[in-house]
Amino acid sequence: MTTMHGYLAMSRTEFRLFRREPFSVVFVLAFPLMMMVLLAAVFGNNQAKAGEIQNGMLVWRGVTPANYYTAASVAVIVAAIGLMTLPITLTSYRERGILRRFRASSVPPWILVSALLTVALATFVAGTLVMALVARLAYHAMLPKDFLGVAVALLAGTAAFGAIGLLLATLLRTSRSAQGIGLMLFFALWLISGTAPPRAVLPTGLRDVGSALPLTHLVTAVQNAWFGFGWAGADLAVLAAYAIAAGLPALWLFSRD
Amino acid sequence: MGVIKVNHLRKTYRRLVAVDDVSFDVEAGEIFGILGPNGAGKTTTVECIQGLRRPDAGAIQVLGLDPTTQAAQLRQRIGSQLQDSSLPGRLRVAEAIDLFAAFARHPVDRDELLARWRLDDLRAQAFDNLSGGQRQRLFIALAFVNSPEVVFLDELTQGLDPQTRRATWELIREIRQGGMTVVLVTHFMDEAEHLCDRIAVVDHGRIVALDTPQRLINGLGLPSVVRFSTSEPDLGWLEKLDAVESMARDGESIELRGTGPVLALVASELVAHQIVPSDLQVERPTLEDAFLALTGQEVRR
Repeated sequence: MTTMHGYLAMSRTEFRLFRREPFSVVFVLAFPLMMMVLLAAVFGNNQAKAGEIQNGMLVWRGVTPANYYTAASVAVIVAAIGLMTLPITLTSYRERGILRRFRASSVPPWILVSALLTVALATFVAGTLVMALVARLAYHAMLPKDFLGVAVALLAGTAAFGAIGLLLATLLRTSRSAQGIGLMLFFALWLISGTAPPRAVLPTGLRDVGSALPLTHLVTAVQNAWFGFGWAGADLAVLAAYAIAAGLPALWLFSRD
Repeated sequence: MGVIKVNHLRKTYRRLVAVDDVSFDVEAGEIFGILGPNGAGKTTTVECIQGLRRPDAGAIQVLGLDPTTQAAQLRQRIGSQLQDSSLPGRLRVAEAIDLFAAFARHPVDRDELLARWRLDDLRAQAFDNLSGGQRQRLFIALAFVNSPEVVFLDELTQGLDPQTRRATWELIREIRQGGMTVVLVTHFMDEAEHLCDRIAVVDHGRIVALDTPQRLINGLGLPSVVRFSTSEPDLGWLEKLDAVESMARDGESIELRGTGPVLALVASELVAHQIVPSDLQVERPTLEDAFLALTGQEVRR
């Protein structure tokens, strides 16, 4: 009873705080949107490009660049929240004594984490809708073919990046280091996960590194559902593995903090 | 009936011994003070009692619960105002109360709480925009949000202006009338003296004295100081009084030190010698004097 009530109150609170912190909204929503608009403008929505092949791979996965970036940029929102918003929020909560304050008042740490993930998920849904709409209006891009598939991919991404964000928050002790490291990781992932240059144009080595990282799999999972290629089972499994591998130690460390 | 029982509590941080063999009981309905200089181990002690830190040795019981293993149950029944904590900067006062009330099994009425701690006008203010004193009032209010049976107040009046301090003391006394037990951590002598039924004086991680404020002062036999002015040159007869320990003179100003009813004895003797100073006054020993005598140091602020 108290737990559910507390979870709802905490989610409502975190939602308000997220809304009142314009910078975080701007970055996690506007940056991916802006990149989608710019990259789609650069590469266009020409159907002829859908068949382009480089390094033995379909450069745009068989769709136009505008479609490619619409789906990929949704995954970028998830990475931005997981690698930046979540660790920065939690480390600054720890630094400022907010976690201590919560703990002393019987607020379990996992309720705070659940609330932050709930807000993240709501942001992804909103971000996805805006992304789809803008791409539709600006480039006549396609709307998601498989809404449920996109939702499942976002859920898997939330679990994986939520766990990574929580792990970062326990390993990094200050919000300054969380900002620095988070930003660095985010841009590194963004560049080699097919969210900026398509993976087909990357050198083999970088492509291999990208294959080991979670954002690549999230991009594939979102794109497959978006373009109606069916669910990307293997990629969803990798995301689930990341969620468990990062999440279990993170939750254990975080509750001992 | 002991609400809090602490037995041989010990807590070290690496090589620093923060709390060293501390034992005391707190009775139901009393205001129990833990007084000591900064770094004496006061906060560590109450944090162990609240289950926020794990003691290295010793046993603690609060409301029949063990804070190291039953922290979740315990925190539903205690309230705490922590030192050095804060809230998300953009969280508003009323929202903060609502949030913490949502985790309480027996939340108090929000509006009444806001009114009691004079926060009604600040309902829509964000935490970052509150002054130090306003934040302090919010934290005190949050300590009471779950109708606690025991409340821990760590540096209760830090950052409050003099009027608000007095008003806060009044409110704490009122709350105690309702049967709540209060543990007050402080380094303010006047606060401890005015508010506490009993005080544990802590220094270097140990309890150096534990008693009512008055008995702490009286028990040490500290001298009172009697001052007056007179032009009478020879006062040797005053020094011969049993109650008088020493006398010092600076021109017309006389300063006597003594114990017991020294003022009454000196006054009657003066009158008997037809000396009637209009500025006769006494300075009784205070808790601060007792504290200095017990810890042998200045109050570090």
